Amino acid sequence: MKTYILLLALFVSDQFGVVKAEDKVPIADEIVKKANHMSLYQGSDSKGKITMTITDKQGRVRKREFNMLRKDMDDNDHDQKYYAYFLTPADVRKMVFMVHKHTELEKEDDRWLYMPSLDLVKRIASGDKRTSFVGSDFLYEDISGRNINEDTHELTKTTDEYYVLKNVPKKPNTVEFEYYIAYIDKKTFLPMKMEYYKKGARLYRVIKSSKIKLIEAKENDQKVSYPTVVESVARDLESGSTTVMNYSNVQYNIGIENDIFTERYLRRPPRKVMR
Amino acid sequence: MKRTKNTIINFAINHYKLATFIMILFTIATGFFIPKAVIDTDPENMLEVKNPARVFHNKTKQQFELSDIVVIGIINENDPDGVFNPGTLKRIYELTEFSKSLRWSDTDNPESFSGVIEVDMIAPSLVDHMSQAGPGTIRFEWLMPKPPETKQEALEIRDKALSNPLLVGQMISEDGQALCIYLPLTDKLLSYKVYTELRNKIKEFNGDEEYHITGLPVAEGAIGVEMFTQMGTASPLAMAVIFGLLLLFFRKLVLVILPMIIATVSVVSTMGILIGFGYPVHILSSMLPIFLMSISIVDSVHVLSEFFDVYTKEKGRKQTIKEVMNTLFVPVLYTSLTTATGFSSLLLTSIPPARIFGAFLSIGVMIAWLFTVVFVPAYVMLIPEKSLKNFGLSAQEENKQNWLTKILRSVGVLTYKRAKLVIGVLIVLVGIAVWGITQIQVNDNYAKRFTKSHPIRKADIALNNHFGGTYTAYLVLEGKGQEKLAKDDVEQITQELEIFAHKINDEYQNSPQLANSLVQMLPELAKINDSKEAFLDSAISYVEKISANSSDEDFYTWQELNNFLGVEKEKLKIFKRPEVLKYMADLQAHMETAGLIGKSNSVADVVRKVNQELTDGRKENFRIPDKLQSVSECYMQFQQSHRPRDLWHLVTPDYKQANIWMQFKTGDSMDTRAAVKEITSYFKEHKPPVELSYRWAGLHYINLVLENELVWGFLKSFAGSFLVVFVMMTFLFRSPLWGLLCMLPLTITLVAIYGATGIFGKDYDLPIAVLSALSIGMAVDFAIHFLQRSRDTYQKEGSWKHTAPKMFGEPARAISRNVLVIAVGFLPLLTAPLIPYKTTGVMLFAILSFSGVITLFALPAILTAGQKWFFRNVKEKNSNVCINTNIENQNEVFRK
Repeated sequence: MKTYILLLALFVSDQFGVVKAEDKVPIADEIVKKANHMSLYQGSDSKGKITMTITDKQGRVRKREFNMLRKDMDDNDHDQKYYAYFLTPADVRKMVFMVHKHTELEKEDDRWLYMPSLDLVKRIASGDKRTSFVGSDFLYEDISGRNINEDTHELTKTTDEYYVLKNVPKKPNTVEFEYYIAYIDKKTFLPMKMEYYKKGARLYRVIKSSKIKLIEAKENDQKVSYPTVVESVARDLESGSTTVMNYSNVQYNIGIENDIFTERYLRRPPRKVMR
Repeated sequence: MKRTKNTIINFAINHYKLATFIMILFTIATGFFIPKAVIDTDPENMLEVKNPARVFHNKTKQQFELSDIVVIGIINENDPDGVFNPGTLKRIYELTEFSKSLRWSDTDNPESFSGVIEVDMIAPSLVDHMSQAGPGTIRFEWLMPKPPETKQEALEIRDKALSNPLLVGQMISEDGQALCIYLPLTDKLLSYKVYTELRNKIKEFNGDEEYHITGLPVAEGAIGVEMFTQMGTASPLAMAVIFGLLLLFFRKLVLVILPMIIATVSVVSTMGILIGFGYPVHILSSMLPIFLMSISIVDSVHVLSEFFDVYTKEKGRKQTIKEVMNTLFVPVLYTSLTTATGFSSLLLTSIPPARIFGAFLSIGVMIAWLFTVVFVPAYVMLIPEKSLKNFGLSAQEENKQNWLTKILRSVGVLTYKRAKLVIGVLIVLVGIAVWGITQIQVNDNYAKRFTKSHPIRKADIALNNHFGGTYTAYLVLEGKGQEKLAKDDVEQITQELEIFAHKINDEYQNSPQLANSLVQMLPELAKINDSKEAFLDSAISYVEKISANSSDEDFYTWQELNNFLGVEKEKLKIFKRPEVLKYMADLQAHMETAGLIGKSNSVADVVRKVNQELTDGRKENFRIPDKLQSVSECYMQFQQSHRPRDLWHLVTPDYKQANIWMQFKTGDSMDTRAAVKEITSYFKEHKPPVELSYRWAGLHYINLVLENELVWGFLKSFAGSFLVVFVMMTFLFRSPLWGLLCMLPLTITLVAIYGATGIFGKDYDLPIAVLSALSIGMAVDFAIHFLQRSRDTYQKEGSWKHTAPKMFGEPARAISRNVLVIAVGFLPLLTAPLIPYKTTGVMLFAILSFSGVITLFALPAILTAGQKWFFRNVKEKNSNVCINTNIENQNEVFRK
């Protein structure tokens, strides 16, 4: 028994040592942090138009278009504010969805919904963030980003292109998946694919970043370019439904005022949001 | 005919070993296919694949992504909080988790699977709850993310669930005592597998709640499986009883075993041929063995009975069987032909399995006939003469008068001396029966296929007590004729656009000018587009084009105008229109208050519920909002849930078709029929705000369609075979009058059976329809035997007065023995747990005993009363029906 443990220890340390020395692989948490920054926190704010094309199992298509504003509250990848202004379908135009995202654990995001026809501003409380985003195959949490501290991360594999991470929720009761595998691009640190698994290693949901574009912007008066996912695809294997999300007219660091993200502006959005 | 007859009989008697060998070979060769049987338990296959109702049903299932559903009902009447106590809810949670695992991956295609569709399951842990969380705040969450730990938490879950009208009467009962878990299946044929797995899981629980598993697929699946199980148990049981009875009558094991052999080989070879031809064995065909068995036994019992009566030691078996076959060849042929004709009339129906059933029953009947005429003589020849010692009536009658003989003799006297009285009594009875027929109610119910002690029947009763019903039919609504662009439309849009531009003028100063330039374009665009949608689309793209590079000022105005056009386009999605949703809500309320359905669900309910919670949660806001955009906002909000897909079971994503789920409290088809009728008249009396078409779908509705097909189909085939049999009888007797007379017992039998069905309030359902159509060929048999022999005897005797007593000798005994053997023989079917088997037992008993009794009473009485007419032409020698006078003479000799 003793010998066995000793052997095992040797084996493990040896493996670990070799990997660390040769590939300089960052540890899992570092990768996740970086990926989180790249997918959600590039620049201090951003604006763009999102088109969602939802195609069901039978090939029936629905579309949604909205302009999205985002502003970071600090430079440390913490709290953010989002403002989504709906353009189509025509019958929900001017609907606004606003979020004050909090990264502190146990602190729920503040969410508002403005419904122009009912002329109602509603705060939304939710038991979890795993609800559909406007009926698409993206979940609310896919849009605002899942808090990296909710999962434990393990680097399971390193390929030529990707760091492959297994993410296991710390509170399994609050989500429908058992774990998900993220494929992080080694160069850009953008998450290129996420695979969600249910009990019994059953894959039921896949999100892929299918188009990346370098978006030019200015950061401290310096020209920079941000690699940005401009097309991503969410596939629900259980329902057979697919949503393609296109991101266009992307702009970074345009100096969005903080007061846009207040209840007052839900009813009367500033024009710059609309075009 | 005579030559054929002789050839067959002589062959059988002279080459009896060869005949036996051929029969055995034939049976083995055909029986070889039986293990290859493909069982088809799907009642839907009773309809043609192209049947419009079935096509629409499948289209609806696909369009609304509907599945057949197994329902688990959990009832707790012992706990004051019903099912809403921590213990029960914990087990419900566990059962839900277990149900999720009931999936099996497809070996051919690993990506797909079969089993329970988890995303569409309905259970407390899998549905959303929407509520007010303080002023101006709406909360979305899972109704029961995890099982509650305290009584208080359990009650909170109850209150939340009860606040959702979409769930009350569906997932939970109003009294909180019962809860249902809905398990949609990828294929309804899996229902029995799921049912069995669930039953095993439930056995592990030991709470004070009861568990029931129901749903139409379960009932249908169970019927399918259990019908075949019964086929394996009930048929042998009936056979054993018949065997016992035969032994009692004929006391010679070696002969009594003969009908059993004939029955077995007929059944085996017929089933073998059916399967060999590649036809699936449908539930209906599971009845084939029992029918064929009774028919083949009837044939051989006639022969056996005659053989028993005629046999004397002196004559020996060879001579006796020759005589017997001579006498019976024609009647047995005709009874077989009529029976086969009766069954083959099923070929006229539009029910595919019934056609197969009918065709192979006919084939089976003729096989049984062939076996009877060939193998029975051969078999008799195989028996050593010495083992027939003490066999035969003569041997027994020397000692005492047989009780059966005595009874029959007095019947003979009665029908002769009091013919008019007998006829009078019959007329009265027929009168009563006819009245009974007017009382018949056509109704079918899948659950009622099971006896009251069967778990499926119990589940049905218990759950429908607590819920809005577990039987679902769908009413699919669709807009009609809104697509085309009419001239008025352009004018109307122009007008409204101008009004709209004026309205926003304060905010967008250039709106009237821009609107005007757009209006100029409209007639142009109308010319090139003939649908409203295309017209609006081209207007929208026109605006997009000219606004793309416009100034900010113009751009924002164009956006407003464009949105006006967009909303016009949304109006084509009629199930976003408030007035249409209100119409639906009213229609549902009407059906519910009229008590025709237990509960209904539609987008009208979804929109009302979301509207209520979006505004302030108060009950009075459970209503359809007034504007299309508000309805759309409700739809959008509903889709922000854990289960956005639920919406697409109620409306198509283009909002042009909607589906109202109607839940029925009973599985009775007459209730479905009433609801269907009421909807039709509702649409007539209440004009919908836009032209709507409506059509029904759903398994529960399909059963109604099926019932119509069956009742009328079988009635049609019944009428067809009645005519054919009548023609055959006319041909056989060379007289339409005799033909009619021959049809009489059968007619009275059916009138009496239907009358009794009506009088005793038994529903006229599918099994009865099937059985009565089948009975025609069987009920005519005794009349054929009786009349054929009457004429033969009359030819010798020269008068009815001398013929009648003879008829109540050996021919009447053969009939009575058959009645007793078969009728009583099938009574063990009454112990079966499935109603169709019980019905078969009762019906066979009724058909055989009625037609036997009526043959023995009505026919001689009528012949007595109308002997001058009937026997006017009989004296003319008819070669076809001539028989060996020698036999009859000998008969007479030994009887005296």
